[in-house]
Amino acid sequence: MKTEIHIEELIRREKETFPNPYLSTRVMAKIEGLKQARSKTPLWQTIALAAGFAAAIFLGVSLGNSYVENGTPDIVLNINDAQMENLQYYLYSNE
Amino acid sequence: MSDEQLIREIVSGNHAAFKNLMEKYQLQVFRTVLGFVHTKEDAEEVTQDIFVRVYQSLSSFQHESEFSTWLYRITINMSLNFLHRNRKIRFQQSLQTIFSLHSEEKTPLEKLESAERDRRIRMAIDSLPDKQRMAFILSRYEELPQKKIAAVMNRSEGAVEQLLQRAKENLKKKLTTP
Repeated sequence: MKTEIHIEELIRREKETFPNPYLSTRVMAKIEGLKQARSKTPLWQTIALAAGFAAAIFLGVSLGNSYVENGTPDIVLNINDAQMENLQYYLYSNE
Repeated sequence: MSDEQLIREIVSGNHAAFKNLMEKYQLQVFRTVLGFVHTKEDAEEVTQDIFVRVYQSLSSFQHESEFSTWLYRITINMSLNFLHRNRKIRFQQSLQTIFSLHSEEKTPLEKLESAERDRRIRMAIDSLPDKQRMAFILSRYEELPQKKIAAVMNRSEGAVEQLLQRAKENLKKKLTTP
């Protein structure tokens, strides 16, 4: 019985709590903010951005695939370094 | 203006009509949420989120039940979600309230005893199974008739009566055992 009274008392006290009088104004502001955030980026812009990313990736992959390696021929160059430049020339002296 | 007329206005783009609808129901929603969360700050936060959700999903309201029934369902679901998300933080808060609660008793010992008793009652309510807790809060905080509670919970009146009876017994058991 006493427990029941304590429960009733707690509920009575909690029910005496009232929300902030500006709660509805806060909610309206939040809703307005959400609406503005949504209207800031129209759908076509989102789609255009996504399409741009897709195009860039596709272009990158295509260019990568079209590259053919042809810079180095399959020949081995045998060069005698000593004959490329006559080092004796620099060693020449008048003596 | 009736709920239906207000809803029609809101769906057709009358932004201000939503404020009227909210002012009509905000105290009910706030009180119900308070029954679940027990603190003013949390109750305000959840109430705010509930009305934003209501605004966003108002166009999908089918008018199959009363608006208030639909609103109570959203309120209960979002309150329970909030509790599940913040379980750990809430336990710490419940301990802190022992030392911060203002009460009408005079001596510090009486204050402490009263705060501890409140904490135990809140914990007992919070530990009830979800269905029992819903029925209990709608019945005691909102003083809704069993018929309305049955409509909100989508159950028969007999089932609600049983839930309330079990909730009462469970609370008594939890609060009498030391």
